[in-house]
Amino acid sequence: MTRRDLLSKSYLGLGSLAFADLLCAEDGNPLAARKQHLPAKAKSCIFLFMEGGVSQMDLFDYKPMLLKYAGQQMPKAERTVGELATFSAAPNRVIPPYWKFAQHGQSGRWMSSLLPNLATCSDDLAFIHGIKVDNNNHGPAVYHTLTGSQFPGSASIGAWMTYGLGSENRDLPGFIVMGDRRGATIGGASVWGNGYLPAAYQGTLFRNGSTPIVDLTPRPGMTESAQRSELDLLNWFNTRHAAERTNTSELDARIAAYELAFRMQTKAPELVDLAQESEATKQLYGLDDAVTEGFGSQCLLARRMVERGVRFVKLLHGAGGDRWDDHGSIKERLPVHCQEIDKPIAGLLKDLKARGLLDSTLVVWASEMGRTPFDNNLVTDKPGRDHNQYGLAMWMAGGGIKPGSTFGETDDFSVRAAGDEIPLRDVHATLLRLMGLDQNRLTYLHAGRYKKLTDIGGRIIKEIIA
Amino acid sequence: MTQITQMNHTDTTMRSFFLVSLCLSASVTAAPLDFPPTVAAIFATNCSECHSEKVKTSGFSVVSADAIRLGGNKHGQAIVPGHPEQSPLVKMLKGELAPGMPMGRTLAKADIAKIEAWILSLPVEQAAKKTDWRWPFEMPSKSVPPAVRNTSWVQNPIDAFVLRKLEQAEIVPTPIATKRTLARRLHFDLVGLPPSTEELNAFLADTSLEAYEKMVDRLLTDTRYGERWGRHWLDLARYGETSGLEGDGAIGNAWRYRDWVIDAFNRNLPYDTFIIKQLGGGDEHSMTRNNYQPDPQGFVPTGFLRMAPWDRSNLVAADVRQNYLSEVTTATSSVFLGLTMGCARCHDHKYDPIPTKDYYRLQAFFQATEATGGPDVPYKDAVFAAKAKAKISELQKQLNEGPEKKELDAFEKELLAKLIAARKERSQNKEILVADLRLELRLKPQRIFTEAERQLHADVVEDANRTQDPPEQKALEANESVLLVKLKKAYALPDSDPAKRFESLDLEDVLSEATAKYSGKSVFSKEEKARFGELSAKLDVYRLRMGRWNTSVLGVQVAPGPPSGPDIAPAHILIRGDYRQPGEAVEPGFPSSITGNSKPAEIITDRYRQYPTRGLRLTLAKWIANKENPLTARVWVNRMWQYHFGQGIVRTTSDFGKNGDRPSHPELLDYLANRFMDEGWDIKRMHKLMVMSATYQQAADHPVLRENPKDPANRLLWKFNRRRLEAEVLRDSMLQASGRLNLEMGGPSVFPPLPADLADFARYGRNGGLMWEPNEKDEDARRRSVYIFQRRSLPLPMMANFDAIVFSESCDRRSTTTTPLQALAMMNGYLSNEESAVLANRIIKETGANISSQIRRAFEITLNREPREEEMVRFTQFAGKLDAVCRVLMNSNEFLYME
Repeated sequence: MTRRDLLSKSYLGLGSLAFADLLCAEDGNPLAARKQHLPAKAKSCIFLFMEGGVSQMDLFDYKPMLLKYAGQQMPKAERTVGELATFSAAPNRVIPPYWKFAQHGQSGRWMSSLLPNLATCSDDLAFIHGIKVDNNNHGPAVYHTLTGSQFPGSASIGAWMTYGLGSENRDLPGFIVMGDRRGATIGGASVWGNGYLPAAYQGTLFRNGSTPIVDLTPRPGMTESAQRSELDLLNWFNTRHAAERTNTSELDARIAAYELAFRMQTKAPELVDLAQESEATKQLYGLDDAVTEGFGSQCLLARRMVERGVRFVKLLHGAGGDRWDDHGSIKERLPVHCQEIDKPIAGLLKDLKARGLLDSTLVVWASEMGRTPFDNNLVTDKPGRDHNQYGLAMWMAGGGIKPGSTFGETDDFSVRAAGDEIPLRDVHATLLRLMGLDQNRLTYLHAGRYKKLTDIGGRIIKEIIA
Repeated sequence: MTQITQMNHTDTTMRSFFLVSLCLSASVTAAPLDFPPTVAAIFATNCSECHSEKVKTSGFSVVSADAIRLGGNKHGQAIVPGHPEQSPLVKMLKGELAPGMPMGRTLAKADIAKIEAWILSLPVEQAAKKTDWRWPFEMPSKSVPPAVRNTSWVQNPIDAFVLRKLEQAEIVPTPIATKRTLARRLHFDLVGLPPSTEELNAFLADTSLEAYEKMVDRLLTDTRYGERWGRHWLDLARYGETSGLEGDGAIGNAWRYRDWVIDAFNRNLPYDTFIIKQLGGGDEHSMTRNNYQPDPQGFVPTGFLRMAPWDRSNLVAADVRQNYLSEVTTATSSVFLGLTMGCARCHDHKYDPIPTKDYYRLQAFFQATEATGGPDVPYKDAVFAAKAKAKISELQKQLNEGPEKKELDAFEKELLAKLIAARKERSQNKEILVADLRLELRLKPQRIFTEAERQLHADVVEDANRTQDPPEQKALEANESVLLVKLKKAYALPDSDPAKRFESLDLEDVLSEATAKYSGKSVFSKEEKARFGELSAKLDVYRLRMGRWNTSVLGVQVAPGPPSGPDIAPAHILIRGDYRQPGEAVEPGFPSSITGNSKPAEIITDRYRQYPTRGLRLTLAKWIANKENPLTARVWVNRMWQYHFGQGIVRTTSDFGKNGDRPSHPELLDYLANRFMDEGWDIKRMHKLMVMSATYQQAADHPVLRENPKDPANRLLWKFNRRRLEAEVLRDSMLQASGRLNLEMGGPSVFPPLPADLADFARYGRNGGLMWEPNEKDEDARRRSVYIFQRRSLPLPMMANFDAIVFSESCDRRSTTTTPLQALAMMNGYLSNEESAVLANRIIKETGANISSQIRRAFEITLNREPREEEMVRFTQFAGKLDAVCRVLMNSNEFLYME
């Protein structure tokens, strides 16, 4: 009987309430691997996050109507409220996609010419169209997409998964994040934070560059043997201290944490050493090209991490002025960003597949919102698209999804779902399910409520699950 | 599995004990249930052998219908009037719920049918929820310290309550901790730092009976106390200095609130006043007949109502407003009342008697609260005011004519010329668009348009920007299309110079071109952009500093209402919490679970009738900070208890509701709450009572019991709870050990350096604003941690690793985690390395070259004790240098834990 079972039991049985969070943090190893609630193929998750709001109708959501209405005012977007209603009613002009669409693979998936490499993987992908986010601005939308709530302070998806499943690797963190080297993400550390969960479940930020973990390397002048002897002294001192005391599980855990930290100093550099990869692999990820090298190395590192049993890897693409926030000059900007990710992501999918890892790795591609079919800024000669919280498109690959499937459809202008809109919590429920976690059992008592990633609960999108 | 049964059993036993005692008091007023003789006879025959008043197995008695309803320890309420199918009793009698009753069997079917018919006949309990969990909503009972056997252990009334339970459980409390341990404990607890060698030695040397009490009194008057306990309050107040969202910009001069809190603790402001100032500040009434203005100092504490993260980019004002109101209502109820009212925004509270209507009635007290801008509040302290004034003029000078300014001016001129030239060159043979029209219209003097045309256009643009409404947008379009025709004609003339329009570009355009980070090709070179960024960043820092020293504070004001302002919007229930779906209108009112009614509150109104909108917040504040409020005092003394003892009497300190924890010592909590109010809400007096108790002075390790199976979680307080230092205490202790802690108090926040590998995070890409700033002086980096700048998206990594993130929601209890990242920060981070090196130098200076003396002194400073013989041997053998010794000591569990 593990602590996790105890907690979920006591919740479902409505026996002992309120005490869960008080028991939690003091456990010996909070990252010990735990069983899935439900049978599932996926063991790890790589979450690719494109920050800024990717234009779905220029990449995946083919809408011939946009060509027909090009340059004209869009008919009023029905059933929208807030900013989107305002935007669509105001003078605007429909911007056609500037790129050719074609169908790909057995599944006949429409994709534009912006992602030629990913198009060759189209039969491995499962799409969701018409997802609704709770807010039409980046900050809150990013929080909503990545933590289930539009305000900072909630636990991120990766924290929930690590909390539920622990980690398979004792020498590395269970949840690793790699940012875009061009700058910080909107929302900062909170988007990979543990929120109200114990801090052990927070993402560890590996930076995309030469220093993956803060304070990972000893100070200049500190040799491994000198540090070892310091740690030995510390260990001796702490062990004596604990021996004279009662109730020492936390004290013991700290002694162990120093040893893990010491091991990380040696294991983490090996992990990030891409020199071990063959030239062919590096080319597959586009490491030989300055445009793709940045995200390519993130993707390649992600594969190396899941190979080593890291539970959740989050990759961020787009930062600062180089986000996918194409309010203007979409014709010039979008192809650049697409080019940056196209080869690396296709490379990742192909590499995972070739190594037999795709089945056990759930790859998720997402942004925080979609974009509008029109430009709301009439004065520019370089149009772009506005934010659209109703039009988010996502895809998944590997890890138990139904390859080549699609769920949801947007209206003729790709403004919002043609039928029932898909709340983000449905997607979150589906992600958890694919990882073998039950959204209703993965709870944590905080401030008088059992917090869940899906808040009031989401519908599992069975249509994209194999 | 055994473990679980055991645990649940302990829990439910304790819980039902309280339920029973509560419901008993509640049942005095409730009408007794009908108990027909035939039914009573069935119980008497079959059950009373074990479930009489006397025997009461599992706490269950069948003596009366009410006793049956109350139920026993395991399942609580045994019957649900009107619902036999939901009644645990019936299930047990049918054998559906183990154990079947009568023990191991089932009751005869005919008898069950009679009991079912009886339960069905009972009136359905309308207010069933209320009787479930009334305790927090009833006034604290006038409990008196109970009698105990071991009277010599009792130091003050707290001990009687605690010992009573220990004696009942047959647990002997742990003996008093050593003087050294007590001194460390008390210093950490009250001032957030360990004692210095001198402080400790003075205490050890004082052999009088009052030595400990003298130390308590001394620490309670130490100004470091306010910094320590103010930080606890800042956690609750979700203190932060940035919006957390979209760019994470500063929200205003939050630090004035932080300083007010620290000062309030140091001045021992009575807790009721402390509440009233935070909730009702600036909402006071006219004291004179004419044009009375509230004391501006009152705005500072209302920072409490402005601290939450804030979505400044949302364009829908009603949405922003509603999110604000919801946050403030939720925070107020959880911080002051220990109620999780937030749930009731969208639906009636699932666990507590809080209907949605009550949520909006409470929210209605904030209806006239204006939460924008920052009122000007002059500094109270004259010395500080002079300092601020000097700072501002110095910074202004830097900004106006400092070397960076001059350099930037010259450089900007260069860039502007380059920009204009580039635009002119690129503009050949281009289609003429509205953007070009707007550029032409900016030219001075006008070449093509009349002044009337220019003015009209400016007006139309302003209208269109302000409203975004279709008619205004259409008007703009129409206006511009006419002007565009004229422009094209003019440009078509042979002597026209269309490119001249670019001469209207100005420094704003330089700024946007220089800071644009899109992938396209820029007019400026990489080097030019970098230099521009560097120069403007320097000036930005001056600007930011100047903004912090000015007198604008983060606080709320009262919307004036008609005739001088717009109407105050009436409050409505919002369907599913959605601002677009207003339901029934509501008046400001207090939670009905406490007052027992849903009447509108009587608003304290302005006696001179000058300010009809004032008094709402004040009314709420005075109702909360009131002896008649059953929750306020209990919630606060329970928080104090948690900070002193490591866990609250109610462990969910912000949730006294049904879903929260049950009090371990309800009578003690009531006693403390009453005493606290009777003694004038005197916080320092309450501290003294708590820390003077024998309960508090116990050692952390029991001489006999390693674990106590009866009470593994130490809820009965048979020992002191050892706990890890909070991030702030840890950092401050390291700085104190090295001798470099800067104890300067108050003022704008400081920026301890980020780890070198995060240096590029200091800059935020999008708006160019600095995320992390250099300090004015080097020693600012070593101020106490409560003064560290609280940026929500970038908490200082070491602090965040030790669970001190920058809070966005009220935090009632820090988590204490143990992670390898903490170890990395402590092994390799700059703080432990720099301070251990400085400490080593300090020791060498103090003791000279003798290694034993050095080690002895290192132990004394970091751990307040001499090394033992074996320790001396081992540390002397250690090959590392003295700074390594110091680093090991600072990393030790003995250093990191308070006990």
